[in-house]
Amino acid sequence: MQAKNEFPTVNPMVVYREEFDDWAVLFDPDTNETFGLDPVSSFIWKKLDGKHSIEKILNELDKECEGGVPEDAPKHIEEFVSDLKNRGLIGYEQN
Amino acid sequence: MQLMKTPKSLDLNITTKCNLRCSYCSHFSSAGDIETDLPTEEWLQFFEELKECAVLDVCLSGGEPLSRNDIKELINGIVANRMRFSMLSNGTLMNDDILDFIKSTGRCNSIQVSIDGPGPASHDVHRGKGSFEKALRGLKLLLKHKLPATTRVTIHKQNYKDLDAVAELLLEDVGLPSFSTNSASHLGLCKQNSDETQLNADEYSYVIAKLLELNKKYNGRIGAQAGPLASGKHWKEMEETIKSGIKESPGCGYLRSCGGVFSKMAVRADGTMIPCSQIPHIELGKINKDSLREAWINHPELKRLRDRRDIPLKSFEFCRDCNYTAYCRGGCPALAYTLTGDENKPSPDACYRTFLEAGGKLPKSN
Repeated sequence: MQAKNEFPTVNPMVVYREEFDDWAVLFDPDTNETFGLDPVSSFIWKKLDGKHSIEKILNELDKECEGGVPEDAPKHIEEFVSDLKNRGLIGYEQN
Repeated sequence: MQLMKTPKSLDLNITTKCNLRCSYCSHFSSAGDIETDLPTEEWLQFFEELKECAVLDVCLSGGEPLSRNDIKELINGIVANRMRFSMLSNGTLMNDDILDFIKSTGRCNSIQVSIDGPGPASHDVHRGKGSFEKALRGLKLLLKHKLPATTRVTIHKQNYKDLDAVAELLLEDVGLPSFSTNSASHLGLCKQNSDETQLNADEYSYVIAKLLELNKKYNGRIGAQAGPLASGKHWKEMEETIKSGIKESPGCGYLRSCGGVFSKMAVRADGTMIPCSQIPHIELGKINKDSLREAWINHPELKRLRDRRDIPLKSFEFCRDCNYTAYCRGGCPALAYTLTGDENKPSPDACYRTFLEAGGKLPKSN
């Protein structure tokens, strides 16, 4: 579980590669695994800089989305970030 | 077709030096021949640009990449810039030290060694005396170090009858999971040694039948992206499609054989960016002076090569009265250039009708 003063940050060895439009892939050169990111996931990935809490990312995403984010968005973001952590693609920074 | 913002991978000819002079090498008789290799620092600087462009992997070739004394430094630069790598090698310069090092990086996708025969007779005839033993030793060292070894067999006039024994050596004795094949193609040194190396239609027919037979025996463990096996499979599919009454095959009827210019680029040993290692005469700029991203997106020559996929085969005199155009993609642009002088023409090398007119035959389906 993420502590209140810990903010997610990307693993600097992971490659974020924009391909077409706002779609992207994450590439872990050590495992040779790739993961596809849709435009929303890409938006979130770019905010994982050790300065944004998940709540702050959600607020920024809400502003970007016409009509706001769906009700279950917080749950999905938590799951997405947790999945990234489990795959070693991100870590947490103490602030 | 949408274009990626940067190439996914690059082929890097890091040297023109090679301890062998194989008679069908695709280098040493082309615009890729240059006097001096680029200094280490130039490559290391370029790798930083590749990181900025989020390039995922590079393929190191030459010449013989292991002939560079700074090969470890170059590989360290690749690793530090978040990429993986593969290597095309003649296998003769491998030793425990370099393979231990490569293994320790954890970033090697594959190392390809050329083995052209079951023994020295048909390998050394075009690669030089003693090269078979050294290449086989190199291949076995790769396996000893548990590195991802692959093998390419180049088929020519002196080894095409040896394919049973080659398959036995590589798949049974050495224990490779698979190997790939091609035939001596009209590129580089092969252009001047064509009569002694390239297969005629009868020999090509024999090889197609033999490789299809061996592939059945070995459960598809023999591969090919070009050459007799690839052509044979494609031409058989053509015949079967026509027989089934289908009027055209998806994506065919245009110059669409090669999609390389949509995902890859290459760099010559002198640092000149080029579309592909086999198209070294088209210069797209110099590394560390010109932007890779800019060349990728905007260079008119790359655009011209990408536009070839919209050129209908029927627009060429060569194809006009051919019954196979609706099932054909026109072949390799590099071979089209060396054979016709224009990359944006169909390659006679991949032409089924030309093969048939020269007396070629496909094996009967079982």
